[in-house]
Amino acid sequence: MTHQTHAYHMVNPSPWPLTGAFSALLLTSGLVMWFHYNSFTILYIGLLTNMLTMYQWWRDIVREGTYQGHHTPIVQKGLRYGMILFIVSEIFFFAGFFWAFYHSSLVPTHDLGGCWPPTGITPLNPLEVPLLNTSVLLASGVSITWAHHSLMEGKRNSMNQALLITIILGVYFTALQTSEYLETSFSISDGIYGSTFFMATGFHGLHVIIGTSFLTVCLLRQFKFHFTSKHHFGFEAAAWYWHFVDVVWLFLYVSIYWWGS
Amino acid sequence: MLRNLLALRQVTQRTISTTSRRHFENKVPEKQKLFQEDNGIPVHLKGGASDALLYRLTMSLTLGGTVYAIYQLAMASFPKKQN
Repeated sequence: MTHQTHAYHMVNPSPWPLTGAFSALLLTSGLVMWFHYNSFTILYIGLLTNMLTMYQWWRDIVREGTYQGHHTPIVQKGLRYGMILFIVSEIFFFAGFFWAFYHSSLVPTHDLGGCWPPTGITPLNPLEVPLLNTSVLLASGVSITWAHHSLMEGKRNSMNQALLITIILGVYFTALQTSEYLETSFSISDGIYGSTFFMATGFHGLHVIIGTSFLTVCLLRQFKFHFTSKHHFGFEAAAWYWHFVDVVWLFLYVSIYWWGS
Repeated sequence: MLRNLLALRQVTQRTISTTSRRHFENKVPEKQKLFQEDNGIPVHLKGGASDALLYRLTMSLTLGGTVYAIYQLAMASFPKKQN
């Protein structure tokens, strides 16, 4: 059996890109069937196959890195570039929603009353729950840094505690934001204010949930001794993503909640 | 007072570390042995029988779902005329 004489990773053939692509087809056609024909079947199958693909794809990456040793320094460099580029693409995604918000709020049209917030809209008080949310995410940024340093210093218990605290803060943010959504006097269909508010904060909330899930996977891997003090890129990727989510919130808070009120 | 506080801190830390030791043992070396076995099995099936089961479930749902989606597309493309 021949073995490689280089430090790169030639992956085994995998079915997950195919199942992932088809699950995207099922998700989109499922949405069409839901919107136009009141049928949920294809959407459910799409969600299920999407979840199955993600689980098995990322399970295989853990196997390749932690169990088979394929994540050499140069491979890890590629993974770092990959995560950075992905986060950059997400920054551009949010840039679109901020563009829409500033386009409408800097020059409010006549039909809005020529003012922002538009006539008839009562915005949320930025000094109440939104400020609490800001402190929750900032604190989670501190706790995840504590977790990272504990990991690098080989302090297992501190790392477990700090990562758990970070996850709890993430869940707390989501719970607070959910209750805020139920509290608003306006909805997504209340003109451009409602649209920009819920599209921007809604996608941010989705990213908080994704980040919290990523951190939870890291916690489970940490319990199973996957990370060493020198090699823990999965955790670093989760931490970068989490800081990105925090920064997006800060922009949301300052722009939409504070300046926009 | 301070010495008592320090003692309390040590007790809490010791209790937590015993709990985590009871629940999780380091099974990484055995996993490394399993996944590095020179048997030519691709990584997505190398974990055992449950891998194959999950793969077959995922693939059948995906392909079945796609066939159903294309069928629905065909149905939607030729609406039935009502008299």
